[in-house]
Amino acid sequence: MANQTSFDAFSVWKDLYNQTESAFRDSIQSTLEQPAFAESLGNIQKQYLQYQGVVNGMTESYLKTLNIPTRDEIASLAKLVINTESKIIDLEDQLEHIGDRSENNAKEIKLLKSSVGKLDKKLDTIIELLSKQPNETIQKATVVNAATPQKTATKTQSTTTVKPSSQAKK
Amino acid sequence: MTNGVKTPPGFEEWLQSFKIPEEGFLKENVDKFTRFQEVMTTDAEPQVGQTPKETIWTKNKASLYHYAPAKKKTNQVPILFVYALINKAYILDLYPGNSLIEYLTDQGHDVYLLDWGVAGYEDRHMKLDDYILDYLPHAAKKVLRHSGAKELTLYGYCMGGTMTAIFAALYAKLLPIRNVVLMTSPIDFSEAGLYTKWLNKETFQLDKLVDVLGNIPFEMIDYGNKLLSPISNSMGTYINLASRIDNDQAVLNWKLMQTWLNDGVPFPGESYRQWIRDFYQDNKLINDELTVRGQDVRLQHITANLLNICAMRDNIVMPHQIQALNEKVSSKNKTLHEVPTGHVSVCTGRYAQKEIYPYVSEWLHNNSK
Repeated sequence: MANQTSFDAFSVWKDLYNQTESAFRDSIQSTLEQPAFAESLGNIQKQYLQYQGVVNGMTESYLKTLNIPTRDEIASLAKLVINTESKIIDLEDQLEHIGDRSENNAKEIKLLKSSVGKLDKKLDTIIELLSKQPNETIQKATVVNAATPQKTATKTQSTTTVKPSSQAKK
Repeated sequence: MTNGVKTPPGFEEWLQSFKIPEEGFLKENVDKFTRFQEVMTTDAEPQVGQTPKETIWTKNKASLYHYAPAKKKTNQVPILFVYALINKAYILDLYPGNSLIEYLTDQGHDVYLLDWGVAGYEDRHMKLDDYILDYLPHAAKKVLRHSGAKELTLYGYCMGGTMTAIFAALYAKLLPIRNVVLMTSPIDFSEAGLYTKWLNKETFQLDKLVDVLGNIPFEMIDYGNKLLSPISNSMGTYINLASRIDNDQAVLNWKLMQTWLNDGVPFPGESYRQWIRDFYQDNKLINDELTVRGQDVRLQHITANLLNICAMRDNIVMPHQIQALNEKVSSKNKTLHEVPTGHVSVCTGRYAQKEIYPYVSEWLHNNSK
Protein backbone atom coordinates (compact mmCIF):
# COMPACT_ATOMS: atom_id res chain seq x y z
CA MET A 1 0.00 0.00 0.00
CA ALA A 2 2.76 2.43 -0.92
CA ASN A 3 0.38 4.64 -2.95
CA GLN A 4 -2.16 5.24 -0.22
CA THR A 5 -4.02 8.56 -0.47
CA SER A 6 -6.23 10.55 1.85
CA PHE A 7 -9.92 9.82 1.33
CA ASP A 8 -11.54 12.28 -1.07
CA ALA A 9 -15.16 11.59 -1.87
CA PHE A 10 -14.94 13.41 -5.23
CA SER A 11 -11.89 11.41 -6.31
CA VAL A 12 -13.77 8.23 -5.49
CA TRP A 13 -16.68 9.48 -7.56
CA LYS A 14 -14.37 10.31 -10.45
CA ASP A 15 -12.65 6.91 -10.31
CA LEU A 16 -16.00 5.14 -10.26
CA TYR A 17 -17.15 7.24 -13.21
CA ASN A 18 -14.00 6.52 -15.21
CA GLN A 19 -14.36 2.79 -14.67
CA THR A 20 -18.08 2.83 -15.51
CA GLU A 21 -17.64 5.06 -18.54
CA SER A 22 -14.90 2.93 -20.07
CA ALA A 23 -16.95 -0.23 -19.44
CA PHE A 24 -20.18 1.07 -20.97
CA ARG A 25 -18.95 3.50 -23.64
CA ASP A 26 -18.47 1.00 -26.44
CA SER A 27 -21.72 -0.85 -25.87
CA ILE A 28 -23.68 2.43 -25.69
CA GLN A 29 -21.98 3.70 -28.82
CA SER A 30 -22.78 0.54 -30.78
CA THR A 31 -26.40 0.76 -29.61
CA LEU A 32 -26.64 4.35 -30.81
CA GLU A 33 -25.38 3.28 -34.22
CA GLN A 34 -28.04 0.60 -34.67
CA PRO A 35 -30.82 1.28 -37.23
CA ALA A 36 -33.24 0.03 -34.57
CA PHE A 37 -32.22 2.91 -32.32
CA ALA A 38 -32.95 5.47 -35.06
CA GLU A 39 -36.26 3.71 -35.65
CA SER A 40 -37.22 3.91 -31.99
CA LEU A 41 -36.22 7.58 -31.92
CA GLY A 42 -38.56 8.12 -34.88
CA ASN A 43 -41.38 6.33 -33.08
CA ILE A 44 -40.94 8.37 -29.93
CA GLN A 45 -40.89 11.49 -32.07
CA LYS A 46 -44.07 10.44 -33.89
CA GLN A 47 -45.93 9.83 -30.64
CA TYR A 48 -44.74 13.05 -29.08
CA LEU A 49 -45.74 15.06 -32.15
CA GLN A 50 -49.13 13.41 -32.25
CA TYR A 51 -49.68 14.38 -28.63
CA GLN A 52 -48.34 17.89 -29.21
CA GLY A 53 -50.56 18.32 -32.27
CA VAL A 54 -53.63 17.44 -30.20
CA VAL A 55 -52.55 19.83 -27.42
CA ASN A 56 -52.00 22.63 -29.96
CA GLY A 57 -55.43 22.07 -31.52
CA MET A 58 -57.18 21.98 -28.16
CA THR A 59 -55.38 25.09 -26.93
CA GLU A 60 -56.31 26.95 -30.06
CA SER A 61 -59.98 26.09 -29.89
CA TYR A 62 -60.01 26.91 -26.17
CA LEU A 63 -58.49 30.34 -26.79
CA LYS A 64 -60.91 31.00 -29.63
CA THR A 65 -63.85 30.08 -27.43
CA LEU A 66 -62.65 32.54 -24.81
CA ASN A 67 -62.11 35.16 -27.51
CA ILE A 68 -58.38 35.38 -26.69
CA PRO A 69 -55.84 35.78 -29.51
CA THR A 70 -54.08 32.56 -30.44
CA ARG A 71 -50.34 32.17 -30.91
CA ASP A 72 -50.78 32.26 -34.70
CA GLU A 73 -52.72 35.51 -34.51
CA ILE A 74 -50.13 37.19 -32.30
CA ALA A 75 -47.38 35.90 -34.59
CA SER A 76 -49.08 37.32 -37.66
CA LEU A 77 -49.28 40.68 -35.90
CA ALA A 78 -45.57 40.45 -35.12
CA LYS A 79 -44.99 39.61 -38.78
CA LEU A 80 -46.73 42.84 -39.80
CA VAL A 81 -44.41 44.78 -37.49
CA ILE A 82 -41.39 42.98 -38.99
CA ASN A 83 -42.57 43.80 -42.52
CA THR A 84 -42.99 47.44 -41.56
CA GLU A 85 -39.50 47.45 -40.10
CA SER A 86 -38.16 45.96 -43.34
CA LYS A 87 -39.76 48.77 -45.28
CA ILE A 88 -38.20 51.33 -42.93
CA ILE A 89 -34.82 49.65 -43.43
CA ASP A 90 -35.28 49.84 -47.21
CA LEU A 91 -36.13 53.52 -46.94
CA GLU A 92 -33.11 54.06 -44.71
CA ASP A 93 -30.93 52.36 -47.34
CA GLN A 94 -32.38 54.52 -50.07
CA LEU A 95 -31.80 57.65 -47.98
CA GLU A 96 -28.22 56.58 -47.39
CA HIS A 97 -27.84 56.04 -51.11
CA ILE A 98 -29.29 59.45 -51.87
CA GLY A 99 -27.07 60.93 -49.15
CA ASP A 100 -24.02 59.32 -50.74
CA ARG A 101 -25.00 60.64 -54.14
CA SER A 102 -25.66 64.18 -52.93
CA GLU A 103 -22.38 64.09 -51.00
CA ASN A 104 -20.59 63.13 -54.21
CA ASN A 105 -22.51 65.76 -56.14
CA ALA A 106 -21.54 68.42 -53.59
CA LYS A 107 -17.89 67.42 -53.93
CA GLU A 108 -18.06 67.58 -57.71
CA ILE A 109 -19.79 70.97 -57.63
CA LYS A 110 -17.09 72.26 -55.28
CA LEU A 111 -14.38 71.04 -57.64
CA LEU A 112 -16.17 72.53 -60.61
CA LYS A 113 -16.53 75.86 -58.78
CA SER A 114 -12.84 76.07 -57.99
CA SER A 115 -11.81 75.22 -61.56
CA VAL A 116 -14.28 77.75 -62.99
CA GLY A 117 -12.89 80.33 -60.53
CA LYS A 118 -9.35 79.63 -61.70
CA LEU A 119 -10.45 79.84 -65.31
CA ASP A 120 -12.16 83.13 -64.61
CA LYS A 121 -9.02 84.59 -63.08
CA LYS A 122 -6.94 83.48 -66.05
CA LEU A 123 -9.41 85.01 -68.47
CA ASP A 124 -9.32 88.27 -66.54
CA THR A 125 -5.53 88.26 -66.71
CA ILE A 126 -5.62 87.58 -70.42
CA ILE A 127 -8.16 90.30 -71.10
CA GLU A 128 -6.18 92.76 -69.02
CA LEU A 129 -2.95 91.97 -70.81
CA LEU A 130 -4.56 92.04 -74.21
CA SER A 131 -6.09 95.40 -73.60
CA LYS A 132 -2.64 96.84 -72.70
CA GLN A 133 -0.25 95.22 -75.20
CA PRO A 134 -1.86 93.15 -77.89
CA ASN A 135 1.25 91.53 -79.37
CA GLU A 136 2.85 90.61 -76.05
CA THR A 137 -0.46 89.31 -74.73
CA ILE A 138 -0.76 86.82 -77.56
CA GLN A 139 2.61 85.39 -76.67
CA LYS A 140 1.82 85.31 -72.95
CA ALA A 141 -1.57 83.73 -73.60
CA THR A 142 0.16 80.99 -75.57
CA VAL A 143 2.44 80.36 -72.61
CA VAL A 144 -0.57 80.23 -70.27
CA ASN A 145 -2.34 77.84 -72.63
CA ALA A 146 0.59 75.49 -72.59
CA ALA A 147 0.51 75.36 -68.79
CA THR A 148 -3.27 74.80 -68.42
CA PRO A 149 -5.32 71.58 -68.96
CA GLN A 150 -6.64 70.70 -72.40
CA LYS A 151 -10.21 71.97 -72.05
CA THR A 152 -9.24 75.25 -70.44
CA ALA A 153 -6.52 75.72 -73.01
CA THR A 154 -8.96 75.33 -75.87
CA LYS A 155 -11.33 77.89 -74.42
CA THR A 156 -8.54 80.38 -73.71
CA GLN A 157 -7.14 79.96 -77.20
CA SER A 158 -10.46 80.69 -78.81
CA THR A 159 -10.74 83.84 -76.72
CA THR A 160 -7.26 84.98 -77.65
CA THR A 161 -7.82 84.48 -81.35
CA VAL A 162 -10.93 86.61 -81.34
CA LYS A 163 -9.65 89.52 -79.25
CA PRO A 164 -6.48 90.40 -81.16
CA SER A 165 -8.27 90.32 -84.51
CA SER A 166 -10.90 92.71 -83.22
CA GLN A 167 -8.20 94.94 -81.78
CA ALA A 168 -6.25 94.70 -85.03
CA LYS A 169 -9.26 96.06 -86.85
CA LYS A 170 -9.20 99.05 -84.55
CA MET B 1 -15.38 -11.59 -1.70
CA THR B 2 -18.02 -11.17 1.04
CA ASN B 3 -21.32 -12.98 1.47
CA GLY B 4 -20.80 -14.65 -1.90
CA VAL B 5 -20.88 -11.29 -3.85
CA LYS B 6 -18.03 -10.93 -6.33
CA THR B 7 -16.32 -7.54 -6.53
CA PRO B 8 -14.89 -6.32 -9.84
CA PRO B 9 -11.22 -7.22 -10.38
CA GLY B 10 -8.91 -4.68 -8.79
CA PHE B 11 -11.69 -3.17 -6.68
CA GLU B 12 -10.32 -4.36 -3.33
CA GLU B 13 -6.81 -3.08 -4.11
CA TRP B 14 -8.32 0.24 -5.08
CA LEU B 15 -10.34 0.33 -1.83
CA GLN B 16 -7.24 -0.43 0.21
CA SER B 17 -5.32 2.39 -1.46
CA PHE B 18 -7.08 4.82 0.84
CA LYS B 19 -5.51 5.64 4.19
CA ILE B 20 -7.42 5.56 7.42
CA PRO B 21 -8.99 9.04 7.47
CA GLU B 22 -6.81 11.63 9.13
CA GLU B 23 -7.88 14.55 11.22
CA GLY B 24 -9.61 17.23 9.13
CA PHE B 25 -10.55 14.97 6.24
CA LEU B 26 -14.22 15.26 7.03
CA LYS B 27 -14.13 19.07 7.02
CA GLU B 28 -12.21 19.05 3.72
CA ASN B 29 -14.83 16.86 2.08
CA VAL B 30 -17.71 18.83 3.53
CA ASP B 31 -16.12 22.07 2.25
CA LYS B 32 -15.85 20.60 -1.23
CA PHE B 33 -19.45 19.43 -1.17
CA THR B 34 -20.57 22.85 0.05
CA ARG B 35 -18.66 24.58 -2.73
CA PHE B 36 -20.04 22.12 -5.31
CA GLN B 37 -23.54 22.77 -4.11
CA GLU B 38 -22.93 26.56 -4.26
CA VAL B 39 -21.69 26.37 -7.84
CA MET B 40 -24.67 24.30 -8.87
CA THR B 41 -27.34 26.35 -7.14
CA THR B 42 -26.55 29.77 -5.72
CA ASP B 43 -23.47 31.15 -7.49
CA ALA B 44 -24.10 34.06 -9.85
CA GLU B 45 -23.75 33.38 -13.56
CA PRO B 46 -20.52 34.80 -14.99
CA GLN B 47 -20.88 37.88 -17.16
CA VAL B 48 -20.26 36.96 -20.79
CA GLY B 49 -19.58 39.03 -23.92
CA GLN B 50 -17.74 41.89 -22.23
CA THR B 51 -15.73 43.35 -25.12
CA PRO B 52 -17.10 46.87 -25.72
CA LYS B 53 -19.34 47.04 -28.76
CA GLU B 54 -21.94 49.19 -30.46
CA THR B 55 -24.91 48.11 -32.54
CA ILE B 56 -24.64 49.61 -36.00
CA TRP B 57 -27.57 47.91 -37.71
CA THR B 58 -30.56 45.78 -36.79
CA LYS B 59 -33.12 43.88 -38.79
CA ASN B 60 -35.90 41.83 -37.23
CA LYS B 61 -34.08 39.89 -34.46
CA ALA B 62 -30.61 40.23 -36.00
CA SER B 63 -28.04 42.76 -34.82
CA LEU B 64 -24.76 43.82 -36.36
CA TYR B 65 -22.20 44.75 -33.73
CA HIS B 66 -18.98 46.67 -34.12
CA TYR B 67 -16.33 45.91 -31.53
CA ALA B 68 -14.25 48.88 -30.51
CA PRO B 69 -10.59 48.18 -31.21
CA ALA B 70 -8.66 48.40 -27.96
CA LYS B 71 -5.60 49.62 -29.83
CA LYS B 72 -4.97 51.39 -33.09
CA LYS B 73 -6.40 49.59 -36.11
CA THR B 74 -3.47 48.07 -37.94
CA ASN B 75 -5.46 45.93 -40.33
CA GLN B 76 -7.53 47.79 -42.86
CA VAL B 77 -9.68 44.81 -43.90
CA PRO B 78 -12.58 44.49 -41.43
CA ILE B 79 -13.73 41.08 -40.22
CA LEU B 80 -17.42 40.16 -40.28
CA PHE B 81 -18.23 37.22 -38.00
CA VAL B 82 -21.24 35.17 -39.06
CA TYR B 83 -22.66 32.98 -36.35
CA ALA B 84 -24.88 29.88 -36.55
CA LEU B 85 -28.64 29.70 -36.00
CA ILE B 86 -27.96 27.37 -33.05
CA ASN B 87 -26.86 28.63 -29.60
CA LYS B 88 -25.72 32.18 -28.97
CA ALA B 89 -22.95 34.16 -30.60
CA TYR B 90 -21.23 35.21 -27.36
CA ILE B 91 -19.13 32.03 -27.46
CA LEU B 92 -16.90 34.14 -29.71
CA ASP B 93 -16.55 36.70 -26.94
CA LEU B 94 -16.96 34.48 -23.91
CA TYR B 95 -14.95 36.15 -21.18
CA PRO B 96 -12.03 38.60 -20.90
CA GLY B 97 -8.87 36.67 -21.66
CA ASN B 98 -10.89 33.84 -23.18
CA SER B 99 -12.40 35.60 -26.17
CA LEU B 100 -11.52 35.33 -29.84
CA ILE B 101 -13.10 38.70 -30.60
CA GLU B 102 -11.25 40.43 -27.77
CA TYR B 103 -7.97 38.92 -28.96
CA LEU B 104 -8.49 40.05 -32.55
CA THR B 105 -9.49 43.58 -31.57
CA ASP B 106 -6.43 43.75 -29.31
CA GLN B 107 -4.31 42.77 -32.30
CA GLY B 108 -5.61 45.76 -34.26
CA HIS B 109 -8.29 44.04 -36.31
CA ASP B 110 -11.58 45.79 -36.98
CA VAL B 111 -14.21 43.28 -35.87
CA TYR B 112 -17.94 43.07 -36.60
CA LEU B 113 -20.39 40.35 -35.61
CA LEU B 114 -23.74 39.45 -37.14
CA ASP B 115 -25.83 37.99 -34.33
CA TRP B 116 -29.08 36.38 -35.53
CA GLY B 117 -30.80 36.94 -32.18
CA VAL B 118 -33.58 34.76 -30.81
CA ALA B 119 -36.15 33.65 -33.38
CA GLY B 120 -39.77 34.01 -32.34
CA TYR B 121 -42.77 31.97 -33.47
CA GLU B 122 -43.38 34.64 -36.12
CA ASP B 123 -40.01 33.73 -37.68
CA ARG B 124 -40.92 30.08 -38.23
CA HIS B 125 -41.21 30.64 -42.00
CA MET B 126 -37.71 32.11 -42.30
CA LYS B 127 -35.59 30.00 -44.64
CA LEU B 128 -31.84 29.88 -44.97
CA ASP B 129 -32.40 31.71 -48.27
CA ASP B 130 -33.78 34.67 -46.34
CA TYR B 131 -30.83 34.82 -43.96
CA ILE B 132 -28.29 34.44 -46.76
CA LEU B 133 -29.84 36.81 -49.29
CA ASP B 134 -31.68 39.38 -47.17
CA TYR B 135 -29.42 39.74 -44.15
CA LEU B 136 -25.85 38.85 -45.06
CA PRO B 137 -25.45 41.18 -48.08
CA HIS B 138 -26.91 44.06 -46.06
CA ALA B 139 -24.60 43.35 -43.15
CA ALA B 140 -21.55 43.13 -45.44
CA LYS B 141 -22.43 46.45 -47.09
CA LYS B 142 -22.95 48.06 -43.68
CA VAL B 143 -19.52 46.84 -42.57
CA LEU B 144 -17.88 48.27 -45.69
CA ARG B 145 -19.68 51.55 -45.25
CA HIS B 146 -19.05 51.83 -41.50
CA SER B 147 -15.37 50.90 -41.73
CA GLY B 148 -14.69 52.83 -44.91
CA ALA B 149 -12.77 49.78 -46.16
CA LYS B 150 -12.71 48.59 -49.75
CA GLU B 151 -12.67 44.85 -48.91
CA LEU B 152 -13.77 42.62 -46.08
CA THR B 153 -13.08 39.28 -44.42
CA LEU B 154 -15.96 36.87 -43.75
CA TYR B 155 -15.50 34.66 -40.69
CA GLY B 156 -18.04 31.87 -40.14
CA TYR B 157 -18.29 29.46 -37.24
CA CYS B 158 -20.03 26.08 -37.37
CA MET B 159 -23.28 26.35 -39.33
CA GLY B 160 -22.55 30.07 -39.73
CA GLY B 161 -19.51 28.98 -41.75
CA THR B 162 -21.67 26.89 -44.07
CA MET B 163 -23.92 29.92 -44.60
CA THR B 164 -20.81 32.07 -45.14
CA ALA B 165 -19.48 29.67 -47.78
CA ILE B 166 -22.81 29.79 -49.64
CA PHE B 167 -22.90 33.57 -49.41
CA ALA B 168 -19.27 33.88 -50.57
CA ALA B 169 -20.06 31.66 -53.56
CA LEU B 170 -23.14 33.67 -54.53
CA TYR B 171 -21.57 37.09 -53.98
CA ALA B 172 -18.03 36.38 -55.20
CA LYS B 173 -18.39 38.95 -57.99
CA LEU B 174 -20.83 41.30 -56.31
CA LEU B 175 -18.99 42.12 -53.11
CA PRO B 176 -15.27 42.69 -52.43
CA ILE B 177 -14.69 39.59 -50.29
CA ARG B 178 -10.95 39.42 -49.65
CA ASN B 179 -10.79 36.51 -47.19
CA VAL B 180 -13.03 33.73 -45.98
CA VAL B 181 -12.25 32.09 -42.64
CA LEU B 182 -14.31 29.08 -41.58
CA MET B 183 -14.18 27.30 -38.26
CA THR B 184 -15.57 23.74 -37.93
CA SER B 185 -18.05 24.38 -40.74
CA PRO B 186 -19.66 21.33 -42.35
CA ILE B 187 -19.68 21.29 -46.16
CA ASP B 188 -19.88 17.61 -47.10
CA PHE B 189 -22.73 15.76 -45.36
CA SER B 190 -22.29 12.38 -47.03
CA GLU B 191 -21.09 10.83 -43.77
CA ALA B 192 -22.02 12.92 -40.73
CA GLY B 193 -21.57 10.18 -38.14
CA LEU B 194 -24.53 9.40 -35.91
CA TYR B 195 -26.54 12.29 -37.35
CA THR B 196 -26.61 10.54 -40.73
CA LYS B 197 -28.12 7.51 -39.02
CA TRP B 198 -30.63 9.40 -36.88
CA LEU B 199 -31.77 11.97 -39.43
CA ASN B 200 -32.48 9.53 -42.24
CA LYS B 201 -35.59 10.09 -44.34
CA GLU B 202 -37.22 6.80 -43.38
CA THR B 203 -37.45 7.31 -39.64
CA PHE B 204 -36.90 10.99 -38.85
CA GLN B 205 -40.22 12.89 -38.73
CA LEU B 206 -38.88 16.09 -40.26
CA ASP B 207 -42.00 17.55 -41.87
CA LYS B 208 -44.27 16.70 -38.99
CA LEU B 209 -41.74 18.15 -36.54
CA VAL B 210 -41.65 21.51 -38.31
CA ASP B 211 -45.40 21.58 -39.01
CA VAL B 212 -46.37 20.86 -35.42
CA LEU B 213 -43.71 22.80 -33.52
CA GLY B 214 -43.08 25.78 -35.82
CA ASN B 215 -39.63 26.54 -34.50
CA ILE B 216 -37.53 23.67 -33.21
CA PRO B 217 -36.97 24.12 -29.48
CA PHE B 218 -33.39 24.49 -28.33
CA GLU B 219 -33.80 21.60 -25.89
CA MET B 220 -34.53 19.18 -28.73
CA ILE B 221 -31.34 20.12 -30.57
CA ASP B 222 -29.42 20.02 -27.31
CA TYR B 223 -30.64 16.49 -26.51
CA GLY B 224 -29.55 15.40 -29.96
CA ASN B 225 -26.06 16.79 -29.44
CA LYS B 226 -25.77 15.30 -25.97
CA LEU B 227 -26.89 11.93 -27.23
CA LEU B 228 -23.73 11.72 -29.33
CA SER B 229 -21.82 10.97 -26.15
CA PRO B 230 -24.45 10.44 -23.46
CA ILE B 231 -22.38 9.45 -20.44
CA SER B 232 -19.71 12.12 -20.72
CA ASN B 233 -22.30 14.79 -21.58
CA SER B 234 -24.45 13.98 -18.57
CA MET B 235 -22.34 12.55 -15.72
CA GLY B 236 -18.92 13.55 -17.04
CA THR B 237 -19.68 17.27 -16.94
CA TYR B 238 -20.38 17.19 -13.21
CA ILE B 239 -17.51 14.84 -12.44
CA ASN B 240 -15.19 17.32 -14.13
CA LEU B 241 -16.51 20.10 -11.95
CA ALA B 242 -16.30 18.04 -8.77
CA SER B 243 -12.73 16.94 -9.38
CA ARG B 244 -11.55 20.55 -9.81
CA ILE B 245 -13.88 22.25 -7.37
CA ASP B 246 -11.03 23.88 -5.41
CA ASN B 247 -9.56 25.46 -8.56
CA ASP B 248 -11.30 28.82 -9.04
CA GLN B 249 -10.20 29.24 -12.65
CA ALA B 250 -11.41 25.76 -13.58
CA VAL B 251 -14.75 26.42 -11.86
CA LEU B 252 -15.12 29.72 -13.74
CA ASN B 253 -14.40 28.02 -17.07
CA TRP B 254 -16.90 25.29 -16.24
CA LYS B 255 -19.57 27.82 -15.38
CA LEU B 256 -18.89 29.81 -18.55
CA MET B 257 -19.25 26.73 -20.69
CA GLN B 258 -22.43 25.59 -18.93
CA THR B 259 -23.90 29.07 -19.20
CA TRP B 260 -23.40 29.02 -22.96
CA LEU B 261 -24.44 25.39 -23.48
CA ASN B 262 -27.72 25.89 -21.62
CA ASP B 263 -28.50 29.25 -23.21
CA GLY B 264 -29.70 28.10 -26.60
CA VAL B 265 -32.12 29.57 -29.09
CA PRO B 266 -34.95 27.99 -31.08
CA PHE B 267 -34.10 27.02 -34.65
CA PRO B 268 -36.47 28.73 -37.15
CA GLY B 269 -38.69 25.96 -38.52
CA GLU B 270 -38.28 26.36 -42.28
CA SER B 271 -34.52 26.86 -41.92
CA TYR B 272 -34.39 23.64 -39.92
CA ARG B 273 -36.37 21.78 -42.55
CA GLN B 274 -33.96 23.05 -45.22
CA TRP B 275 -30.88 22.38 -43.10
CA ILE B 276 -31.83 18.76 -42.44
CA ARG B 277 -33.28 17.96 -45.88
CA ASP B 278 -30.91 19.78 -48.24
CA PHE B 279 -27.76 19.21 -46.21
CA TYR B 280 -27.98 16.14 -43.95
CA GLN B 281 -30.36 14.08 -46.07
CA ASP B 282 -29.63 15.15 -49.66
CA ASN B 283 -26.09 16.55 -49.29
CA LYS B 284 -26.76 19.14 -51.98
CA LEU B 285 -24.05 21.72 -51.25
CA ILE B 286 -20.94 19.74 -52.09
CA ASN B 287 -22.69 18.12 -55.08
CA ASP B 288 -23.54 21.47 -56.72
CA GLU B 289 -27.26 20.81 -56.36
CA LEU B 290 -28.14 23.49 -53.84
CA THR B 291 -30.20 26.45 -54.95
CA VAL B 292 -30.86 29.52 -52.86
CA ARG B 293 -33.98 31.39 -53.99
CA GLY B 294 -33.49 30.01 -57.48
CA GLN B 295 -29.76 30.75 -57.69
CA ASP B 296 -27.39 27.84 -58.10
CA VAL B 297 -24.72 27.66 -55.42
CA ARG B 298 -21.33 26.63 -56.78
CA LEU B 299 -18.56 26.50 -54.23
CA GLN B 300 -16.00 26.75 -57.04
CA HIS B 301 -17.11 30.38 -57.47
CA ILE B 302 -15.29 31.19 -54.23
CA THR B 303 -12.04 32.90 -55.17
CA ALA B 304 -11.27 34.71 -51.91
CA ASN B 305 -8.32 33.62 -49.76
CA LEU B 306 -9.52 30.72 -47.64
CA LEU B 307 -8.57 29.61 -44.14
CA ASN B 308 -10.51 26.49 -43.19
CA ILE B 309 -10.05 25.44 -39.56
CA CYS B 310 -10.80 21.82 -38.80
CA ALA B 311 -11.08 20.44 -35.24
CA MET B 312 -9.81 16.89 -35.25
CA ARG B 313 -11.63 15.83 -32.04
CA ASP B 314 -14.97 17.25 -33.12
CA ASN B 315 -17.86 14.79 -32.79
CA ILE B 316 -20.51 17.25 -33.99
CA VAL B 317 -18.87 18.11 -37.32
CA MET B 318 -16.49 15.39 -38.53
CA PRO B 319 -13.13 16.53 -39.94
CA HIS B 320 -13.87 15.07 -43.39
CA GLN B 321 -17.05 17.15 -43.59
CA ILE B 322 -14.90 20.27 -43.34
CA GLN B 323 -11.89 19.28 -45.43
CA ALA B 324 -13.94 18.78 -48.60
CA LEU B 325 -14.26 22.54 -49.13
CA ASN B 326 -10.60 23.10 -49.91
CA GLU B 327 -10.81 20.78 -52.90
CA LYS B 328 -13.88 22.53 -54.20
CA VAL B 329 -13.06 26.26 -54.15
CA SER B 330 -11.13 28.15 -56.85
CA SER B 331 -9.11 30.20 -54.35
CA LYS B 332 -5.40 30.31 -55.17
CA ASN B 333 -4.56 30.96 -51.54
CA LYS B 334 -6.25 28.26 -49.44
CA THR B 335 -5.20 26.74 -46.14
CA LEU B 336 -6.62 23.81 -44.23
CA HIS B 337 -5.58 24.20 -40.60
CA GLU B 338 -6.11 21.10 -38.46
CA VAL B 339 -6.19 21.57 -34.69
CA PRO B 340 -6.39 18.99 -31.87
CA THR B 341 -9.57 20.37 -30.29
CA GLY B 342 -13.29 19.73 -30.15
CA HIS B 343 -16.16 21.64 -31.71
CA VAL B 344 -16.30 24.35 -29.03
CA SER B 345 -12.74 24.28 -27.72
CA VAL B 346 -11.67 25.48 -31.17
CA CYS B 347 -12.70 28.99 -30.13
CA THR B 348 -12.46 28.98 -26.36
CA GLY B 349 -10.12 27.54 -23.75
CA ARG B 350 -6.40 27.36 -23.17
CA TYR B 351 -5.35 25.74 -26.45
CA ALA B 352 -7.43 28.17 -28.49
CA GLN B 353 -5.94 31.13 -26.63
CA LYS B 354 -2.35 29.97 -27.01
CA GLU B 355 -2.37 28.46 -30.48
CA ILE B 356 -5.47 29.19 -32.53
CA TYR B 357 -6.04 32.88 -31.80
CA PRO B 358 -2.45 33.90 -32.71
CA TYR B 359 -2.51 31.71 -35.82
CA VAL B 360 -5.78 33.23 -37.07
CA SER B 361 -4.62 36.76 -36.28
CA GLU B 362 -1.36 36.28 -38.16
CA TRP B 363 -3.08 34.69 -41.15
CA LEU B 364 -5.54 37.59 -41.31
CA HIS B 365 -2.72 40.10 -40.93
CA ASN B 366 -0.74 38.51 -43.76
CA ASN B 367 -3.76 38.42 -46.02
CA SER B 368 -5.04 41.90 -45.27
CA LYS B 369 -2.12 43.93 -46.62
